[in-house]
Amino acid sequence: MDRRRFRRLRDGRLAMQLHTAEATLLAHLADELTELLETPDPNDPAIDRLFPRAYLDPTEEEAEQSFSALVAPDLLRARLDALRALVATVRPLADGPGSDAIHTVELDAEAEAQWLAVLNDARLALGTRLGVSDDRDEIELDPDDPLVHAFQVYDWLTYLQGELVEVLLGELPDVDDDDA
Amino acid sequence: MASTGAPDTIVVPDTVEELLGDDDVELERPWIVLVWNDPVNLMSYVVFVFQKLFGYSREKATRLMLQVHREGKAVVANGTREKCEADVARLHAHGLWATMQRDD
Repeated sequence: MDRRRFRRLRDGRLAMQLHTAEATLLAHLADELTELLETPDPNDPAIDRLFPRAYLDPTEEEAEQSFSALVAPDLLRARLDALRALVATVRPLADGPGSDAIHTVELDAEAEAQWLAVLNDARLALGTRLGVSDDRDEIELDPDDPLVHAFQVYDWLTYLQGELVEVLLGELPDVDDDDA
Repeated sequence: MASTGAPDTIVVPDTVEELLGDDDVELERPWIVLVWNDPVNLMSYVVFVFQKLFGYSREKATRLMLQVHREGKAVVANGTREKCEADVARLHAHGLWATMQRDD
């Protein structure tokens, strides 16, 4: 059995190895993110991070409002679609038999983009709520602090997304810049 | 992605001065798209997004990513208001913290 986390198949799909516990965690995180998006708390900094302003200039408030009105609904719908697709894939693995099994998930191009988006959105939401900073290494938590688990989840998402991005970066065609 | 800009209201000018006036200059003033540093997005992911969305080379995408990381922000695209709004929307869809402003 090939133990690589991600592997490109000959038909173009991306094969991914997932442990049952990882599928369970992903289903749980996707449910949480779906709830956050469907019933947003306006005071939640994660919402601002997922739907940032386009214009910082306060004199462009009118343009900001029309940008937001046009873009935010599509962006929300795409995010919820991606979450639904991911949950539909991982839920049967999470709930299925074999708690110690490693599953192979095969993603087509659309699913691949949706997984990448969900992993990134989940890290943005979790990282924002945890107050992750560039000085992350300086944070010292008591081992009993409940945040320890949240940081472990965040680090696992970071690892998984990093592995996926490495594969995708390696596949991008080499191009020259017009202005080089 | 098609332009996501709102259609401009069509105003018929009353005078030649108005026709040739500030509005035209206004329209020609370019806009820039900025990406701001944030502690969550992976450096490799930011490079990937710059390459994928803008067709930049690995070298240029990496240079821009490092500029964002070290200087706090970088100009990653420019053009008309409509083009920049479309670019910002695509960057937001990929989770990057992007804004736009006039290139002063």
